[in-house]
Amino acid sequence: MEKPFILHMLTTAKNLSPFDVNMAMDAGWISAVPYINVEPSEVRGLVQDAIFSRSLKGLKRTGIFIGGRETKQAMDMLKIAKNAMVPPFEVSVFADPSGAFTTAAGMVAAVEKELADKFSTTFAGKNVLALGGTGPVGQAAAVIAAQAGANVRIIGRQLDRAERTAELCSQEFGDGKITVTAGADSDKAEFIETADVVFATGAAGIELLSAELIARAPQLKVAADVNAVPPAGIAGVDAFDSGKAIAGSISGAVGIGALAIGNIKYQAQSRLLKRMLETDTPLYLHFEHAFEVAREFVKESR
Amino acid sequence: MNLLKNLVNLFCAPVAPAATGSTGVKAAKRSILHMFDPTPNNSPFDVNMALDAGFDVLMPYAGVKLDNIQRLTQDVIFSRGPAGVKKTAIFIGGRDIGLAIEMLDACQPAMVKPFEVSVLADPSGAFTTAAALVACVEKALFDKHGKALKDCKALVFGGTGPVGVATGVIASLQGAKTVLIDHLSVDSAADIAKQYNRRFGSNLEAAVASNDEEKLALLADADIVFSTAKAGVRVLNAAVLAEAKQLKVAGDVNAVPPAGIEGINLKDFGAPLLAASQSQAVAVGPLAVGNVKYQLQNQLLKTLLESEQPVFLDFREAFTQARQLL
Repeated sequence: MEKPFILHMLTTAKNLSPFDVNMAMDAGWISAVPYINVEPSEVRGLVQDAIFSRSLKGLKRTGIFIGGRETKQAMDMLKIAKNAMVPPFEVSVFADPSGAFTTAAGMVAAVEKELADKFSTTFAGKNVLALGGTGPVGQAAAVIAAQAGANVRIIGRQLDRAERTAELCSQEFGDGKITVTAGADSDKAEFIETADVVFATGAAGIELLSAELIARAPQLKVAADVNAVPPAGIAGVDAFDSGKAIAGSISGAVGIGALAIGNIKYQAQSRLLKRMLETDTPLYLHFEHAFEVAREFVKESR
Repeated sequence: MNLLKNLVNLFCAPVAPAATGSTGVKAAKRSILHMFDPTPNNSPFDVNMALDAGFDVLMPYAGVKLDNIQRLTQDVIFSRGPAGVKKTAIFIGGRDIGLAIEMLDACQPAMVKPFEVSVLADPSGAFTTAAALVACVEKALFDKHGKALKDCKALVFGGTGPVGVATGVIASLQGAKTVLIDHLSVDSAADIAKQYNRRFGSNLEAAVASNDEEKLALLADADIVFSTAKAGVRVLNAAVLAEAKQLKVAGDVNAVPPAGIEGINLKDFGAPLLAASQSQAVAVGPLAVGNVKYQLQNQLLKTLLESEQPVFLDFREAFTQARQLL
C-alpha cells in the first residue's frame, strides 16, 4: 500500500485557516493535521518528530505548512524548520501566513500582466505605493515588486511603523539587496503625483485611495486592491475588475480587484502545495516561489 | 443499562439509506484513531506512524486532561456500534509517562462491553523508543559479552525524561541494577525513581551527574550506559569514556549531532566503541534503535486495528514485542 500524503500544518494562531485546509486537501494531500498555538521555539521539535518517523520514501510524501499571521514570524519559522532538517531526513516546507504570500504574489503578477498588456512595460524603475502596506500582504507585495525592479514605498498611517516595516522588507526579506522606502498616509497626495502603480492592502472596508487622488495621478498605470468588502480600497475599482479603465484617471490607469487577484492567489497556493507533493528534493517555499508560480499561471492563461 | 439497551437497539435498527453507498451495499467503515494528548499539540511523529500503520482517519485531541478521559472514551465507544468499534482505537500521547499510564488506566473502566476499543499509550514515542533501546542493548550484551541484563549495572543519562524513565523501568524490571541520572538535581532523580518504583515495582536508584568527575565516578562499575538525553546534547565525551573499565554496551537514541555518546555512529549495532579504549564496550546507535522502534510502533498500532479482543498496551507489552522483533 502506498503511504498517504501527510501535511503537518503549523500555525501560531489558535486555529488553522479552513482556507488552507481546503487548499491542501484539494491539492492532493490525504491528511492535513493541525498544530495550533505553535511557538517558534517549538518548531524544531515538531519538525524532527515529523522527519524521524517515516522512511525516506515516506518523507517524500510528507510536508510541513506554516500559517499564522505574521510575515516575519513565519519566515523565521521557515528558517528554523530548514535548519532542523537532518539530511537525508528532510521534507518540504511552505510558509504562507494568512495566505499573505500567495495573495501578494497574485496581486503583483496581475499588475505585471496589466503593465505589459496595456502599457508595454515592466516593474523595472516604476514607482509603487503600497497603501496600508504595513500588514502581511503589503510587506510581501513590496518585497516581490522591489525584487522585480520597482521603487516601492510603503505607506502607513504611522510613519515610524511604516519605516520599520520598510527596513524589515529591505534587510530581512530582501536580504539587503533591495531598498523599500516608507511614507506617511498624510503625505500620499504628494506621492501619488509620481506613482506608476498602487497596491491597496489595508484592512477591509477602508478607502485608501480616493477618486480625488486618482484624478491627481498623472502617471498612474495600474491600481490593485485586495479588499473584497465594500467600500473598495481604491475608489472606482470593483472586486470583479481585471484590467478595466478606472473612471476619472487622467493617465488611463486600469484597476484590478480582489477576485481577479484571488483567482491567481488560489492557483499559486495550489501549485506550491502540489509542488511539495511531486518534488524529489525538499523545497522551502515562500513569497518568491509564490510569485514564480503566479507568473507561470498568468503566462499560461494568456 | 437503559442507555446500553437503546444503543443496541439503535445499532440493530435497519440501515438508513444515508449510510449505504450508491450500490445499496453498506460501505465498509473507515478505521479511526482518536489521539488523546495532554500537551498543546499532538506529536507529528505519532501522526506519521499512525497513518503509516494503516489508520484511515486520525483525529487529534490536544490539551486533554485526565478527568476528560472517561467521557471521551465513552463518546468513542458509543458512537459506532459493535462492528464499528473494531475499527476504532485510542492512542495516548504527551510528554509525561506517568500521566499517560494514568490515562491508559482510566480508559479501561470506561469501556462497556461489547463497546470496547483497544488503547495504546506511547507518550512522545517514549515507550517504544525505550523498549527498542533496551531490547537492542540486551541483544548486543548477549551477543558480544554473553551477559544478561540481570547481571549488569546500568546508567540512564537523561534519566528523568520520558524515554529515560521508561528505559530505566524496563531495565530494572529485567533485573539490572539501574540508576536514573539527572544532569541538575539528585532530588528530582530520586523523586522520579521513587514514584515509578511504587507504580511498577521496579528498583530504580537515583544520581546526579553535572560534570565529568561525577560521570567518571558513576561509570567506574557500570556495565551499560543508556543515553536518552535531549537531541544534540553530548552526554559522555571521549575523555570520560576512556576511563571506563567495565563498560560493555553503550546505547544512544540521539540522532541529531553531536552524538550523546562520543564515537557512536548512527547505525552501530554491536560495533566496538573505540573511545572506551580500556573496555570491550560495543555501541548501539540511534538508527539501529530507531529501526526497531519504528517496526515496533507500527506493529503495536496494527495490533490495535487487527486484534479481535480489545488490548491495552504500554511499555511492558512494547518491550515484549521488541524482543520478539529481534
